[in-house]
Parts: sequence; structure tokens; C-alpha cells
Amino acid sequence: MSAIEVSNLQRDFQTTIGVFKRKKKTVSAVKGISFEIAHGELFGLLGPNGAGKTTSVKMLTTLLIPTGGTARILGFDIVKDAEKVRPRVGFIFGGERGLYWRLNATDNLRYFASLYYIDPAVSKKRIPYLLEMVGLKDRADEKVEGYSRGMRQRLHIARALLHDPEVLFLDEPTMGLDPVGARELRQTVRNLQNEKKTILLTTHYMFEADALCQRIAVINKGEIVAMDTPARIKDTVNDLSVIEIEVFGIPPETFEKIKSLPVVESATVEDRDQRQLLLVHTSKGAEAIPLLVSQLNDLKLGKVTTREPTLEDAYVRLVGGE
Amino acid sequence: MSGWQKVQYNLRVIFMAFEIELRQSFTDAFVLFGIIVQPMIVAFMALWMLKDQVANYAIFVVVGSAMTGLWTTLLFQGGNSITGERWTGTLEPLSCVPAPLRVVVSGKLLATITQSLFSIVCCYAFISLLMGLPLNIAKPWLFAGSVVLTVVAFIAFGLIIGPLFILNPDVQRFQNGLEFVVYIFSGFLFPIALLPMWTTPFSYILTPYWAARALHAASGGTGSDAEIYFCWAMLVVFSLIYAIISKFLFKSILRKAREDATLNMQ
Amino acid sequence: MEKIKLNINIFFEGAYLSYVGLFRWLSPSTYLATLIFSPLTQMLFFVLIGTYAQGTGRAYFYVIGNALMNAAMSGIYGVTMSIGGDRWDGTLPYLFGAPANRMTVFLGRAFMHILNGMIGVITGLFWGWLLFHIDYSATNPWALLLTILVTTFSTAGLGLLMGCIGLITRNVMFVNNTVYFVLLVFSGANLELTSLPKWMQIVSNYLPLTRGIASARLIIGGHALGEVLPLLVEEVGIGLFFALLGYSLFRWFEVTAKKRGTLEVF
Repeated sequence: MSAIEVSNLQRDFQTTIGVFKRKKKTVSAVKGISFEIAHGELFGLLGPNGAGKTTSVKMLTTLLIPTGGTARILGFDIVKDAEKVRPRVGFIFGGERGLYWRLNATDNLRYFASLYYIDPAVSKKRIPYLLEMVGLKDRADEKVEGYSRGMRQRLHIARALLHDPEVLFLDEPTMGLDPVGARELRQTVRNLQNEKKTILLTTHYMFEADALCQRIAVINKGEIVAMDTPARIKDTVNDLSVIEIEVFGIPPETFEKIKSLPVVESATVEDRDQRQLLLVHTSKGAEAIPLLVSQLNDLKLGKVTTREPTLEDAYVRLVGGE
Repeated sequence: MSGWQKVQYNLRVIFMAFEIELRQSFTDAFVLFGIIVQPMIVAFMALWMLKDQVANYAIFVVVGSAMTGLWTTLLFQGGNSITGERWTGTLEPLSCVPAPLRVVVSGKLLATITQSLFSIVCCYAFISLLMGLPLNIAKPWLFAGSVVLTVVAFIAFGLIIGPLFILNPDVQRFQNGLEFVVYIFSGFLFPIALLPMWTTPFSYILTPYWAARALHAASGGTGSDAEIYFCWAMLVVFSLIYAIISKFLFKSILRKAREDATLNMQ
Repeated sequence: MEKIKLNINIFFEGAYLSYVGLFRWLSPSTYLATLIFSPLTQMLFFVLIGTYAQGTGRAYFYVIGNALMNAAMSGIYGVTMSIGGDRWDGTLPYLFGAPANRMTVFLGRAFMHILNGMIGVITGLFWGWLLFHIDYSATNPWALLLTILVTTFSTAGLGLLMGCIGLITRNVMFVNNTVYFVLLVFSGANLELTSLPKWMQIVSNYLPLTRGIASARLIIGGHALGEVLPLLVEEVGIGLFFALLGYSLFRWFEVTAKKRGTLEVF
């Protein structure tokens, strides 16, 4: 039995459009996803904003009831046995909310420890340990309203670990953290994996998924478009090269023309300060450069380089990149 | 976990929620207004309006205006006991812990109502000062007993109001109106005999009505011991009924919130 | 001529847009709840205390007083929200940045609430007729309408001041609630002013509503417009005084915030 088994999980939302004549519209946030996560595995759910990552995690943590499909966590159904799932999972959605701002970190944790039915004797030792682990020991007696975003994120993590859950759901845990904080958090995640916890991590940072996860599922528009180890996902773009061309203001029509060239597999434009970087995936390698440059000959160009594809490029190809 | 262990854990949850709620709302200006300022202004007006017109009017005004403070606090603070958690984003984590939300909210309500008892102290001190003499409570032990049962009954009532406000946000729009509706139908500052006969059943299902009746009778000596015990019985019966109904209400709201994705709203 | 036309445009457009944009009570159910149901329940409460004390013959005293209090509901809460709302929505810097004549914008905010207030008062008087059989047969309707207009204007003036205070304090609802309840006491809505201590009567004289309520009672009692005109003129004066005070605060606030670069803080 896997730790997490997901079978064709779906979630639709009803929204209304219009002010006076309200029309109901159904939006499918998750269109039927399936995967299994083994005990002790660190699994990544990678996708752009709005792909359905958070919705999926909310269903698995029993915060949302699915509109279709099933899932089991440690053998318990997320709908029928929700009461049995909850004490065994911990989750972090992060952000500014979800904590009591007028209380300090210690009191926030004391409160939740009681809600998790943790013995006071146990929580008395556990709380300082967790605060030390997330680096909040020195600021534990300050009110949360004075905390930075990163500190609040770390307190969320401490709270998620209070009851020592077997399964952890981390929804974009490094978002809002500075690079040092993010690195420390990733190390914490690795340590948790060493403790044999099953972890599902969502992120839109490709390098993070690559660095941490044993397997990744790429989700886009509510569907899983790829699922494998990071190395094998990278392999899917091994036949491609990436040509990077610095441009200074590429008009949309020109970009569309380039995308429609037969040698171009896919293309994106990234903004870099005053200039843009046109990224073209092609199987022709450097041979494609003259054709590309000819399309751009009335524009000012900077550096032109060719490189090997990364996981990011694979991801862009999978999610259709814009 | 054995049944007894669960009870112990839940009691701990109630006291933790009590402590947390008390500390969070202790300095809240809105709360202080409802507990201190408004009841005292109501007390002043009622005192002037009822002066020499009604027997034992001073202690009657104390109890009646203190009750307005208790009800207003229960309505606004207790009524928002669940919606407040949603606003702060803490309803999601609260709905996923082993401790039932109902138990957590009970602790919060205990804090809310205990705080609001300060209205009695304020109104008593204020009216005594205005009258220039300390006021007499005719049956102090029965009064104290009535206060205790009032707290219990108001918690049970709050366990209905909180979920109702989250189940139907339209009801919350009438929150301001419900304030005075209960003042009227509970007979805080005038007997319900002044109201049309057909409204009496509505008064009878209101916990604040039985609480006010017991407190008025015990403080002013206007009611027999038997009448006060009868009010106590009604407070207990309604508390049990509301407690049972609240179990289904909480189950309902949590299920609906999970279906409609409304556990977390900004 | 062009400038006048422009200012009139700004006044009405601004009034309408600010009403819709900032006055969150616009949905029909909320309007019903806050401006119809809630004031009715409050009126019933005080009228019933009054009739408990003094019999149904005196109902008209409390009905008229509390009906006119509805002006304060719009004047204080409504106007304050329209001004203070800019702060919470973060649109204050844009308001100050616009070249529109400040006074026109400022007064435009109060305009729709004056209309609302009048509706509220008329509705209250209607309830008085329906539920307590108040006799309006001796009333000069134009005189009453003028009284209502003047009273709502003067409370809106106070509302403009409260709104500006709301821009610099975090506890704006506490301040608003306190001012509303203080008016309830000092305006004579429920208390015979002559029975109050001397110092309270003096304070009453400097507040809006006092003369409006007195005028309304006289007019409904059959007195002519001429008799209440001096009171109404004074009421207008008080309204203007508070409005000007509010406007000065508004301008001082803008100048200070721009000097210190602290607009976004507010």
C-alpha cells in the first residue's frame, strides 16, 4: 500500500458572472489527476500559478471535498475517513494569514498543541525544539504581528510538525522567503525526508523540484502532463537545444512569426530589466540561428548563445510556455 | 483514546481557547464598547426614563442594562466566533485538528460571556454612584446561581448563533437589528406583557428571556423562589436543546464549507 | 459659469460614485437590514420603555425622538464610511492628488446620506403611525419636511467631522458608536432635557439633533413653521459649524500628509 493513492481526483468550482443577471459558470480546477506516492518519498507537484496545485493539496488534506475521483492517505479515504486522515497529516499553505497575530509564536504553538491533543508534558519539550529547528527561538516571545513574512512561514512549518505527522503537504513553502531562508528551509525538508516522512511538495520553482524531489508530477490547467524522476523529465528535451537571443523590444507579431517557424519546437520571451531574452527550443541546434536572426533583422540584438536544455526548459515545453 | 481521556483533552481545549480568546479581545475597543460604554449609556437613559415610575427601578435598571451588554457581546463577538476565524485564515487549520470545532468555540464563548459579566459590575457601580447609595440585591445566592446558569445558557445559545451566521451570511446582515430585537423580546427593561400576546412564544424560546426573568426576580425580590427555580429549569432545558442542535449545525457548516470551498475567505 | 457647471458636475458625480463605491450598504437586503429594520427595533425598544414608565399616551414623545435619530444613523455611520472608506480602500492618495475642488468633493460625500437620512426619518415616523397610532393630523407637512431636511443636514455635518477623525484613528467604530449613543442621551430623543442636570443641558445645546427633535415635536403637535424657524436656523448653523470643522481637519490632514509624505500610512 502506498502512503498516498490518488485516483482520477477532480474538483469543480461554481462561479457567478454578472451583477444583476447572475449566470452560473463551472470552472474545472482539477480535471482528474492520478498518482501514487510511496512511504518516505519526497514527491513534487510542479506547475504554474492556477494549475491546480493548491486545490489538489486542499483536497488531500480534507479541506475541500472532491467533486469526483478518490484518494487515500495511509489507507484512509479522504472523504469517508477524513477524521482518521487529519491527525496523520500536516500541511503548510503559508502566507500572512492562518496565525493568531496578537499572540506570540510560543502561544500559537501551545494553542495548537492542545487542539492536537498533545500532552502538555510532551508539548513543553516539543515546542522549544521546533522553534529552534525553524530558527525562531530568539523571537518566540514576540507577537506574530511584528514578524516578517519569512518568520511567519517558518512558524507555519513549526505548527505543521507539532503532532509529528507521517505525511506532510507543503504548498509553495519557500515562497516569500529570502534566498538564505529558502535554502535553510530546503535543508529542513531534506531532514524531514531523512526521518522517513512522506512529503508532497508543490512549487513553481523548477530548480527546487529538481533539487529536492525524487519524483515530480508536472501539472498544468488541472491535468498532469508528465510524471517521472527529474532526470528522466530532463531527458525528454535532450533532443533539443536552447538558443538564447537578447533582444530589445520584440513586437508580438514577430514573436508569433518565430513560433510558427518549422524549426522551432517552442519559444518564450523573458524580461530582463531593459531587454528581453528570446528562448527558442529547436532540434536543429546552432543551424537554426541564421534563420532566427533573419526574422529579427530590423531589431537591435545582443548576445546569441546556444546551450543544453535544463529541467526548466522541459517544464516550459510541457506547460506550453508563455 | 478512552472516553474519559477525550473529556480531559477537550476540557483542556476549552480552557486554552478561553485563555486565547480572552487575551485577544481584552483590549479590543469594539468589545469594550459593548461591555462598558453602551450598557452604561443605556443604564443612564433607562434610569431617567423609569425614575420613580416603577418599583425597585434602580436595581431593575442595573440588571436590565447589564443584560443588554451580555446580549450585545454574545451577538457580535460570539456570533463572529466562527466567521472571525475565517477572516484570519485560521478556520482551515482549526477544522483539521482532532479537537472538534464545537469544543473550541465553546471555550471562546466562555471567554466572551465571562468578559461581558463585567457589564453587571459596571452598571451596578454606575447606578449606585448616580443614586448616591449602594443597591440591594434581594436574594444574593439565587442571583449568583442565576448568573452561573446564564453563562451556561448563553454559551449554548452562542453555539447556535455562530454556525447560523456562517451558514447564511444574509442573517449576519441583520446582526444590528437582532441586537434590539432580543432586548425587546427578552424583557430586559420592560415586561413582555407590553407586547402583543402572539409574540410570547417567541420570547419563551429565547434563552436571554429566562436569564433576565431569573435575574430580575432574584435581584429585585419581585419573584418567588419557585419562579426562579422554574427559570433555572428552563435555562437548563434550552441549553440542552441548543447544545444538541449545535452538534448538527457544526457538522453541517463544516461539510458545506468543504463542498463550497469557503473554509478560507478573505 | 464654466467653473460653476464643472463644480456642480463634480458634486453630483462624486456624490453618486462615492456612495456606490464606498457605502457598502448598497445591496437591497443590507439596506433593508441596516436602514429600515435596525432603526425600527431600536425605536421599538425605547418607545416600549417609555410607555412602560409613562403609559401609551406619551408614545409620541419617544416615537418622534427616535425617528429623528435615524438621521444620525446615516449622518454618522454613512458619511463616516464614505470618507473613511477612502483610507481603507487605499484610494485616499488618489483623492488628494485629484485637482477637483476639495470642498465640492467633500460636500458631495454627504449629499446622498442626507437623502438616506430623510428616508430613514420618514420611515420611522411611518412606523410610529402604524404601530403606536401617532396622530399626524395637525402637522404641517412642509414644515415637517423642512425640519427633517435640516436635521439630517446637521447630523451629516457632524458625520463629516467624524469621518475625518476616522482618517487618523484606528478605532473609528468605537468613536462612532460612542458619539451616536451620546447623541441618544443629549439630543432629548428619549429624555426630557429639562429634567437633566444643567451641564448636560448646556452640552445638548451645542449638538445637532437637539433643536431638530424639539421642532419636530412642536410641528407634529400642531405648531406653525414660524414658531420653529429660529430653532431650525440654529440647527443649520450647528451643522455648518461641524461641517466646516470637519473640512478644516480634512485640509490640514491633506497638507500635513503631503508635507510628511505619509499619505500611504493612512
